[in-house]
Amino acid sequence: MEVKILSARFDIDNAHRIDVARTHGAYRALDKLFAMAPAEVIEEVKASGLRGRGGAGFPTGMKWGFLPKDTGKPVYLAVNSDESEPATFKDRYILVRDPHALIEGIIICCWAIGCHDCYIYIRGEYTSQVKILQAAIDEAYGAGYLGARVAGRDFRLDVTVHRGAGAYVCGEETALLESIEGKKGQPRSKPPFPAVVGLFGCPTIINNVQSIASLPYIIANGAAAYRAYGTEKSCGTHLFGISGHVERPGMYELPLGLPLLEVLENVAGGVWKGRKLKGVIPGGSSTPVLTPAEAATVTLDYESMAAHKTMFGSGGIVVLDETVDMVRLVENLIAFYHHESCGQCTPCREGLGWMLKIVRKLLAGEGTVADIDLLRELCDNIEMKTVCVLSAACTMPVRSYLEKFRDEFEAYALDGGSPQPEQREG
Amino acid sequence: MAETVKLFVNGREVEVEAGKNLIDALRVVGIEIPHFCYHPALGADGNCRMCLVGIEDGRPPLVPACKTPAQPGMKVLLDDQKIRKIQRDIMELELINHPVDCPVCDQAGECRLQDYYMEYDLQDSRMRVPQVTKGKRMDFGCGVVHDQERCVLCARCVRFTRQITKTGELGIVNRSDQARVTIFPGRPLNNRYALNIVDICPVGAMTSRDFRFKQRVWFLQKDEGICHGCSTGCAIYIDHHREKNGDDVIYRYRARTNMQVNGYFICDAGRLSYKRENENRQDLTLVDGVVVDFEQGIAAALEKMNKARRPLLLVSPDATLEQMWAIKRIATFYGATLSGYSDAYRIDDDGDDFLISDDKAANRYSLELLEIDRDRESFQAALAHADLLVNFDNDLFFSPINESLQRLLGEQDRISVCSHQLPVFSGSSVILPCASPSEYGGSIINRHGVLQRFRRAVRRNADPRDILEITHLLGGAISSAERAWPGIRQSVPVLRSVEPEQIPVEGLLLNNSEERDVGP
Repeated sequence: MEVKILSARFDIDNAHRIDVARTHGAYRALDKLFAMAPAEVIEEVKASGLRGRGGAGFPTGMKWGFLPKDTGKPVYLAVNSDESEPATFKDRYILVRDPHALIEGIIICCWAIGCHDCYIYIRGEYTSQVKILQAAIDEAYGAGYLGARVAGRDFRLDVTVHRGAGAYVCGEETALLESIEGKKGQPRSKPPFPAVVGLFGCPTIINNVQSIASLPYIIANGAAAYRAYGTEKSCGTHLFGISGHVERPGMYELPLGLPLLEVLENVAGGVWKGRKLKGVIPGGSSTPVLTPAEAATVTLDYESMAAHKTMFGSGGIVVLDETVDMVRLVENLIAFYHHESCGQCTPCREGLGWMLKIVRKLLAGEGTVADIDLLRELCDNIEMKTVCVLSAACTMPVRSYLEKFRDEFEAYALDGGSPQPEQREG
Repeated sequence: MAETVKLFVNGREVEVEAGKNLIDALRVVGIEIPHFCYHPALGADGNCRMCLVGIEDGRPPLVPACKTPAQPGMKVLLDDQKIRKIQRDIMELELINHPVDCPVCDQAGECRLQDYYMEYDLQDSRMRVPQVTKGKRMDFGCGVVHDQERCVLCARCVRFTRQITKTGELGIVNRSDQARVTIFPGRPLNNRYALNIVDICPVGAMTSRDFRFKQRVWFLQKDEGICHGCSTGCAIYIDHHREKNGDDVIYRYRARTNMQVNGYFICDAGRLSYKRENENRQDLTLVDGVVVDFEQGIAAALEKMNKARRPLLLVSPDATLEQMWAIKRIATFYGATLSGYSDAYRIDDDGDDFLISDDKAANRYSLELLEIDRDRESFQAALAHADLLVNFDNDLFFSPINESLQRLLGEQDRISVCSHQLPVFSGSSVILPCASPSEYGGSIINRHGVLQRFRRAVRRNADPRDILEITHLLGGAISSAERAWPGIRQSVPVLRSVEPEQIPVEGLLLNNSEERDVGP
């Protein structure tokens, strides 16, 4: 089931070195690239059906098309490498094992959108990864792929690595821009969208690492070759980080559209220790959980996930076996999003902390059924009332656990045995 | 009103000014949209989420009103069940970690959390878990005291120090419900406008050390006034209260919005100048150091003035246009020399490019309009020559530049009509107490030529007389501010068509280009 497009050089020793990477095909798309007009590149990417791999799945070529023409301002590319969502570790593989695919992709994107200054915003905790990335960038400068004349052409491109300081919210594209500008990483209200008013007030494209790293294959082999993988609307391949209770956790590149359970069985070796499956988180912690019955019918593409009322997300699949305590899982989940809320908007700032305390009250055996209902209601009250979707990234999965595994929450409430606090207060 | 657009609110068509956001545009037609973080001077931040409104058929259907311009044909939903629920939900979330210590909070009575709770929430607390605790009564400097637990993180204060004073002392640190407004360690607020933060804080998080615990705001009578702290003439509210069997006391000044004069803010010195109205007042009438009735004082003054052969009248640059006119008239009546010498009211390099002026006189502009002499040399010559000085509340010693006059003044027989006990008035043979600016009404013209009218706000038990009234008792023809105007109109061309009752609230910018081109 596995394919090797993005991961073609992952298993080659020292592929992060430019000489090794070039031996195995890196930077070969550039000759073809510079023979194309920028508009042709955008059309080719549109034709490939490539969708944003950061989780939202927005068509990449269409996003580039939103850039206003002739504003007289520079255009920026910000590569989102802030990969921080729990259970997501795909971009890390690209950064470490094939950084030149990313750099080649950056050259392609910048040629297409007319950008001469690219920022790579990398997660602060990626300390060893940033060294490898920076070394690769230095090599690319040395080899003439970056700098005043990219690959000998009359095209300047400079790439700057900007390290985050450990905030999940900076993966939100406008918070990322604020952070690069040296401000506190808080999402901006949209509109205006970054394509119009982005970094330093200039038109800006923000793309995920994997989206960018997918470009060399598309340019070198053509949109049709890329579309040969995947489904009609979910084209190409994706890096899936499979973790949790499986026999062979790891990173696998697969075409989109495969049945989830088949992938778990045939690629990841099935639920570990022969245990029963309890649920699957399909694409990072923010995606609503799937029950075993739902997991049996879903396929790994945007449309099927939406039909199952969840999201494709980041490809970070977490397998939950029968021993998982869903209430503790939800506590862990809310604790993360509460900790990472930037604190800007009232509902997210105050609400997630309240939700966390309610779950902890349940776990302490002091909760009531009314608390479960309140928790459920708070999901609705907070969601989509905020500037960004961080709060929704918490409330959407929490709602799914409350609806699909409510009995587990009620068990804590009913067996906790303590009188209701309302009665205590009398 | 400028260009207008028609849109629908809850199905009702309204016509509002184009180019404004929904909060500002709809307020003008009487539709309030609740909000904490938006302030017209500080822009839309969009963090409080209290102003979320529905847009029928809109994409997205739910928008913050502060960031949404009024568009023609827009269908805004405010009364809709869904929006009412959102407002209630946001209020609930604002309040879950709030201490609800209204009984000891100075903001109580003018607090948006209280007001919006009554209007939009009105449900019992569902919070059954421990609240977040944060810093209390933090000294932020410049008399600003911060309570982090009462704060709704609207960031108005932060934006004020960044955008208005450009001093940037405040910031929000931490994330999530641990976020809090604070100062940098050892770097408190340090600007001359810091107390505006107390005004713009929509809740009780920012309180004034000066006002804290002094008075409940619902007891305060809030009158409009003009600050007399400098020649800018900022619009203020005079908040005062008379306790049972007590005197009427001013508790604070607050900024009043006047886009033509001061915008939304006032300086701290002006704000705290209310104390001058309460303190060090001249209440007693004295003749040769003996306390007498006011009428006896007037009689003594009249006798001296009638006897004097070379009287000199000195007018204050803080006096109203009408008072100045009245004094000018009695100067003519007595054949007296009239001076408006007031160099002491200028403090060089004290002003800035915002509101604070070097000139601490409220109405020097009118001295010029009435052609009252302001020259030091001629004042000094007149003083040496005169046999009586009648000083109408001019503090020649406001700044130390007149030390050389002290000796000359000491030798002079003086009548002082004064509101405060000041060194310049001591040694006067007759002292007549008069009203201070909060106790009379009239017109003043600021340094930019904006004519503003203000009314009497405070009525003291001692009831000091308006200077204008005193001039009348001293034989002047002008018995009221209104009666001053026919003469003023006739003698000052630029005021010829001014009707004092028709001066707009924001003041009247005098069309006097010749006058304004002269001098600084």
